[in-house]
Amino acid sequence: MRDSGSSKRYNDFIPTRVAVVALAVGFCPFFPPASRPNFKMIDPSNTSRWLPILVLALAPSVSVLSDAVTRADEPAPADPAVEIAAADEARLARGREIYTNSCAACHGERGQGVPGSYEPALVGDRSIAELSGVISETMPEGNPEACVGEDAEAVSRYIFEAFYSEAAQSRLVAPRAALARLTANQYRQSVADLFAHFMGRGQWKSERGLNANYFDHPGWKNDKKVLTRVDPNIDVQYGQASPGEGMEPAKFAVYWSGSLYAPESGSYRITARGQGSFIVKFIDTEQKFFDNHVSSGEMAEHTATVDLVGGRLYPLSVDLIKRERKTGNVDISMTLAWKTPKGVEEPIPTRYLIPSGAPTAFAPQTPMPPDDRSAGYVRGSTISREWDDATTRGSLEFADAAVSKLWPKYLKDAKRKSENADQSEVLRQFLGELVSQAMRRPLDDTLRQRFVDAPLASAPNEEEAIRRVVLLTLKSPRFLYPALDVDASPSIRRASRLALTLWDSLPDAALQSAAGKGELENEEAVRQRARAMLQDPRARAKILAGLHEWLDLARWEALDKNTDRYPGFDAALVGDLRTSLDLFLEEVVWSETSDFRQFLQADWAFTSDRIAAFYGDAWKPAGEATDGRFARTGSDPALRAGVITHPFLMSALAYGDTSSPIFRGVFLLRHILGRIIRVPNEAFTPLNPDLHPGLTTRERVALQTGSANCQGCHQRINGMGFALEGFDAVGRVRTEEQSKPIDASGVYVDRGGAEVRFESAADLTRYLATSDDVVHAFVNRMFLHMVKQPVGAFGENRMEQLKTRFRESGYHIRELLVEMAVIAAEGPVPVPAA
Amino acid sequence: MTSYSSRREFLKRTGITAASLPFLMNLSSLGWASTTTPRKRLVVIFTPNGVVPKTFWPDEAGRLDCFKKSLEPLEPFRDQTLTLHGVHDKIRGDGDSHMRGIACLLTGIELFPGDVQGGSHTPAGWAKGISLDQWLKNQLQSDPKTQTRFGSLEFGVMVPERADTWTRLSYAGPNQPVSPIDNPYQMFDKLYGQVKDRQTVASVLDSLSDDFAKIQQHLSQEDRHLLEQHAEMVRQLEQEIRQEQEFAAAAPVDAVDVGHAVPELTEGVMRDNDNMPQLSKMQIDLMVNAFAADFNRIATLQYTNSVGGAKMKWIGIEQGHHELSHEPDSNLEAMEKLTQINRWFCEQVAYLAQRLSETPEPGASGSMLDHTTIVWTNELGAGNSHTLNNIPFVMVGGGLGFQMGRSMKFEGVPHNRLLLSLAEGMGYPVPSFGNAEYCGDGPLTGMTG
Repeated sequence: MRDSGSSKRYNDFIPTRVAVVALAVGFCPFFPPASRPNFKMIDPSNTSRWLPILVLALAPSVSVLSDAVTRADEPAPADPAVEIAAADEARLARGREIYTNSCAACHGERGQGVPGSYEPALVGDRSIAELSGVISETMPEGNPEACVGEDAEAVSRYIFEAFYSEAAQSRLVAPRAALARLTANQYRQSVADLFAHFMGRGQWKSERGLNANYFDHPGWKNDKKVLTRVDPNIDVQYGQASPGEGMEPAKFAVYWSGSLYAPESGSYRITARGQGSFIVKFIDTEQKFFDNHVSSGEMAEHTATVDLVGGRLYPLSVDLIKRERKTGNVDISMTLAWKTPKGVEEPIPTRYLIPSGAPTAFAPQTPMPPDDRSAGYVRGSTISREWDDATTRGSLEFADAAVSKLWPKYLKDAKRKSENADQSEVLRQFLGELVSQAMRRPLDDTLRQRFVDAPLASAPNEEEAIRRVVLLTLKSPRFLYPALDVDASPSIRRASRLALTLWDSLPDAALQSAAGKGELENEEAVRQRARAMLQDPRARAKILAGLHEWLDLARWEALDKNTDRYPGFDAALVGDLRTSLDLFLEEVVWSETSDFRQFLQADWAFTSDRIAAFYGDAWKPAGEATDGRFARTGSDPALRAGVITHPFLMSALAYGDTSSPIFRGVFLLRHILGRIIRVPNEAFTPLNPDLHPGLTTRERVALQTGSANCQGCHQRINGMGFALEGFDAVGRVRTEEQSKPIDASGVYVDRGGAEVRFESAADLTRYLATSDDVVHAFVNRMFLHMVKQPVGAFGENRMEQLKTRFRESGYHIRELLVEMAVIAAEGPVPVPAA
Repeated sequence: MTSYSSRREFLKRTGITAASLPFLMNLSSLGWASTTTPRKRLVVIFTPNGVVPKTFWPDEAGRLDCFKKSLEPLEPFRDQTLTLHGVHDKIRGDGDSHMRGIACLLTGIELFPGDVQGGSHTPAGWAKGISLDQWLKNQLQSDPKTQTRFGSLEFGVMVPERADTWTRLSYAGPNQPVSPIDNPYQMFDKLYGQVKDRQTVASVLDSLSDDFAKIQQHLSQEDRHLLEQHAEMVRQLEQEIRQEQEFAAAAPVDAVDVGHAVPELTEGVMRDNDNMPQLSKMQIDLMVNAFAADFNRIATLQYTNSVGGAKMKWIGIEQGHHELSHEPDSNLEAMEKLTQINRWFCEQVAYLAQRLSETPEPGASGSMLDHTTIVWTNELGAGNSHTLNNIPFVMVGGGLGFQMGRSMKFEGVPHNRLLLSLAEGMGYPVPSFGNAEYCGDGPLTGMTG
């Protein structure tokens, strides 16, 4: 902290007004969404929920505070801790008195803020020591000498316990699980599985690539088959040659088949480019996706954009045929490429291809409005007309597929079993199964009457009956709000919650049947089931999406850099960096040890030739490429520390020209350490480096944020971000800037108030890997991602329990996720109905 | 993204038969009874990242004799153009300039604190109030004389697929951002599709409402609130469909003739940066068609988002818009590129004006442009300073009673007063809109000449 007054200790700074973290109550990440019905802001000044509890909390004796934690109607326990607490009572009382007399006028009796005075609520995650420092230095405004030393500490302790701290907040408004609808992804995953219930699904296997059959004949002819093998992907240039031994160059056929795995949900652009006669089938095994059957030999390109659901397998086949021509030989080539939602175009990589086929899938294309993510994770907390309209269109889209695909198959299967099957009875069964599956439970007579028999009786024909039943079912709150299954059996509810937590989807038939047989009655059985379910590709995609949320990656689409200064930093390189990061995240999760600390400490990474060409020898592949392009680097602890120093993040957390210690510091504090950072007083544009030639980035940032106004937060932000100054705007290692050696020293004050200093990024990451703040933040974020409800809603000690198990398992990520699923399956602590 | 590979497939998918097309074409306003009051329409066009003041603003106040480079495409409509310099977005509080720039633009009110974090570290939530377009829509829809099928339509061009403070311009109320539709095929579907589907929908709505009623019994008060809100939407849908059916029964096909045909959409245009010019044209064509059919009186058209990073390769600019907008005034090359970018946006405004001017106003004299005011605006005054002063406001068209063909200069008046002027021009004067603190002096003076 040399540039901004390095001699100061953490609490020596002089912030303006109040440097107390003051994220307003309604959006505090630790504040339960339940307190924001309908996503309306809580105005602390008129929140009726607050009043009774707060009146209690502020009753004359401060010891009542601790009583508020327990039930008011229970007798106070005779606990020796109470005796010890009594010793602190005098100090708390003193604090309360000072607060009431000197602070409440501006901050409100309950720290809720006062309109026109100081509006933000006093809520945050600083320690009592830090608060004391701030209060000593700055409060009361205009007369900070009036409250220093023991008084400042007393008042800090009081506000910390009464309302400021997270613990106090969760006491005041107990976290609860708010009713939530399916998120857009859960909706898509669920309808895709509803379709797969009837149609079947592809098998997730470890083998990669596509199955390939080669023929010495321009078509499929068994006795002309020359070769069957697994090819890594489809990217061939045969030119005038034959694809291999035993095939004539003039006429041959290659049939590739298998399935494609979509690693994340979103819009994929699929491109088939080639010379020759080719047909591509995708998603639907019966319909041609691209038809270049009639080809006169010129280069053809077919492109389509299609929404795919992450974690699902889609059938894929390509037929490439060369026929003998009278007018001379033509060149043959074929590339099947894609552009993933955030990636760049590339031949579909081997790791997303599986040689075994899959039945026709349902890929919903109805656009849905994006879900709320204002609390830092995606959740179904709000509804709007656009969303309601989208669910209508989505239902109709599914209805079309049910009419054209599912019902004919169901009917055919039924007729095969019994030729004399009564078609209307088969239809009734089909619809019953569909409704039961969508509602995640067996149908009782009432539901069957309402959702199957009634629409069936009134519809003019089969097709319209199916459409109506589908519409009524998929628009029903019973489908859209999974938690409304209050009258289902505990096992059925557990199955439903497990599927939602781990797959974002419906329970499949096997899970439902296990639940029906009472196989989810005890916790260990649920745990075993969760472990098995975690192996499913839907879980894999959901976990990767969760890690993206943890690292806040959704924000970064393109990383634009000054190409004069960083020539070669182009979209293709950014695509490789993104892949490198994803491969790393997946490798850590799915390796045997599944060790979370690798995220922060791994001294290896995934690299490609392109990455090595830009970042230098330290990024040369050390082993064989897993699918032609990406391979692991060697170890280099000085250069690499997991995700923290990964060039994708280092580049994202930087400007086009220069690094940004502020972006990096805020990222580390908010996302890695899970700390709350106060809203700045105003938006600032960073100082222009051209106007301050000769200053290093560190010096410039220190200059701009050096004032007392800024230091309240920037002491913390810069202290973290500076430690990564050894990485430039594209994440390359540097030892000097503006001909001055890099100063990568930094400092952090943890939740408990302990100060940690580091001299380098390596120091920093070593600290992070052992920090409870980091574990806390990760567990909290992953829980919110997986369960989409605050962990506190599932019981007071659940967070500690998760952290303890996590630690005991050697920070095993998959086991942590299993434990989360076990907790989620039990359901939130019931809240009495109002 | 829904994309139909052919028009035929679209018609098949949406259940429009050849026989229903003539009817659809004339599926006019629900307010078919009234043709006496002249229609007034308002379009707000949003483009991001500020402008280059030197190449944007006329030098002097008074008659508009010529345009600077950024505004040249509006030359054919100079007499119908009004530029307003010196109007400041004075809303402060949470959120960075880009966030407040877009979210306070039509709401005139602060943002809630929140967790949506900007590059300059100023998290915020959604706006605290309704936006003017949605407010006007509510006024229009509450009166049978001005009620239309949709009231308002929210168009977009390449709006990122994420909901946050930078991507939302319109608000139905506090914390209720409205998502623009940036896929022309989806908009087409909304305007012209869904006939057969709506019959199916209508047939299940009663049962669906029953289902909501039954399930609500089990819920706590707070949870019930969300479900009640949802049930209300189902009721709204029911009502809309009933009105449509009544209208269909009451209006013979040739009773309303607006000379309006279902637009032909180019097939298979992907939602992709490089297709922006085509997407923009398609959306504008759809907007003009919707106005001609009197589906709505209010429209917004949002290009990308606040901080949007369009790469306008089609005019030879490879860099992202937002990145460029940070360059200092001294970087003349960047200033020229930014001028070109704003000029391209201006061409889109001019294309809308042109299409409206070529379309006769149904049931009245003049063109549709004479009855439509386009307000072209931006979240920032200038990109490199991130200032919220001198927010670009350029109006084209007529019908609101403003005296056009002028450049007006104000001394830093709050933009809330302009919102009041627009409300008044549309026939709904109000004493304040958004934060009342900035509305003390009422609508802007001198607008009507």
